[in-house]
Amino acid sequence: MGNTMTVAPAQGDGSALLCVKGLRMGYGPVEVLKGMDIEMKPGERVVLIGPSGSGKSTLLRVMMGLEQIQHGQITFGGDPYITADKGKTKIDIGVRKKIGMVFQHYTLFPHLSVLGNLILAPCKVAGESRSSASERARALLERLGLSHRVDAYPAQLSGGQKQRVAIARALMLDPKLMLFDEVTSALDPELVAEVEQVILQLAAQNMPMMIVTHDMWFAKNIASRVIFAAEGRIIEDGPPEQVLGNPREERTREFLERVFHIKT
Amino acid sequence: MNYTFDLGAVTRNFDVLLQGLSLTLQLTIAANIVGLILGFLLALMLVSRFALVRGPATAFVEFFRCTPALIQIVWFFYCVPMLFNVFIGSITMAVLALGLNLAAFNAEAYRAAIQAVPREHEDAGIALGLSPLQRVLYIILPSAIRASVPVLLTNGIGILQQSALVSIVAVPDLMYEAKTLATETYRPIETFTIVALMYFAISLPVSQLVGWLERRRPA
Repeated sequence: MGNTMTVAPAQGDGSALLCVKGLRMGYGPVEVLKGMDIEMKPGERVVLIGPSGSGKSTLLRVMMGLEQIQHGQITFGGDPYITADKGKTKIDIGVRKKIGMVFQHYTLFPHLSVLGNLILAPCKVAGESRSSASERARALLERLGLSHRVDAYPAQLSGGQKQRVAIARALMLDPKLMLFDEVTSALDPELVAEVEQVILQLAAQNMPMMIVTHDMWFAKNIASRVIFAAEGRIIEDGPPEQVLGNPREERTREFLERVFHIKT
Repeated sequence: MNYTFDLGAVTRNFDVLLQGLSLTLQLTIAANIVGLILGFLLALMLVSRFALVRGPATAFVEFFRCTPALIQIVWFFYCVPMLFNVFIGSITMAVLALGLNLAAFNAEAYRAAIQAVPREHEDAGIALGLSPLQRVLYIILPSAIRASVPVLLTNGIGILQQSALVSIVAVPDLMYEAKTLATETYRPIETFTIVALMYFAISLPVSQLVGWLERRRPA
């Protein structure tokens, strides 16, 4: 992670960091994403909200190359890396590796220690030496207040610690964009804050991120932009004050009232 | 009941029983080696995407799971030599019969554990940029093998008990020596009680180990 206050786009032309165009995906006859277009600028922190089935988690999974798409293209730093081509999804792994993701649960490999989880990908994928990866891992865990758990196994960790380790594991690969898919949804309420704190720390370092969350306090505090999606389409897209505070769309207003009991 | 227990006949011939026990343990260990390795390969076939690979493995597993072990052993000893004109030493034959039977059950243990690895681990592996082979080698198999250890151990001591069946085809294992001794000394009750205790004494620590492993295994 860099300490600079600006995140340079991969191609240096100051344009979009990530660009989703005409994205459609579904399982058989069920269409989950019905044409999505998103342009994300460097340094932006996009929070995705919406009712279940809106496709927000699916969108993150698509961006991570975990799902097949039927139509559209996703570009990162100017390089197209996910493309629908005659019904097949082409993924440029080299580009996709610049993106890190943290999932809702079952994120850590249970047979590896915390350190083992952190250095697996750097050693096996990036070919980094064990000693150098371990050194980086220890430094990172120290920063996240987890240095006392280096040799612990996932089963010995609390839910909040597991998610912090999962975030550290993703950071080990030096991502240029982080995706967080409901990372606090499976946690006990008292463990939520420690995980959100880590993500806020990353935000303070200008890490671009896209976050799916149901936590309104968190959404308000972290978002530089909020997207409300429903039924596979983007309904409203704007700064948090607008989308969360004074939505233009009736459906956004309804959703906020129903789910978060917020009268706007 | 006015039967008087007389262990003298057994204790005087204990060395014969120990010889039998030694062969029983060797059979069990050899069958477990066959069962652990072959079972693993079968499990890899069972989870294959290709029906042509899955088919033979499924047939193998179902054959050994769905017929009595006693028939498998008899069949191996009498039918295989006659049908295929192959003559293998009786001990090797016993190891094969027990080992193939165990392989079928172990294959199922491995398969269940492989399929129980949460889909999210695979996703996390993809997200970390691991190749399909790397995901299998570093994530799925290590976690599945660990999870299957208690069942593999249970199957393993199961084969210690099953190995008594080879006594009917004149392999001089513990059961065979016990039968001979019982007939010679007219002391079947004492002999079989002692022999049962011998099987029990060897199995109990293993089954305790299984219980301990299951208690400490993370959910």
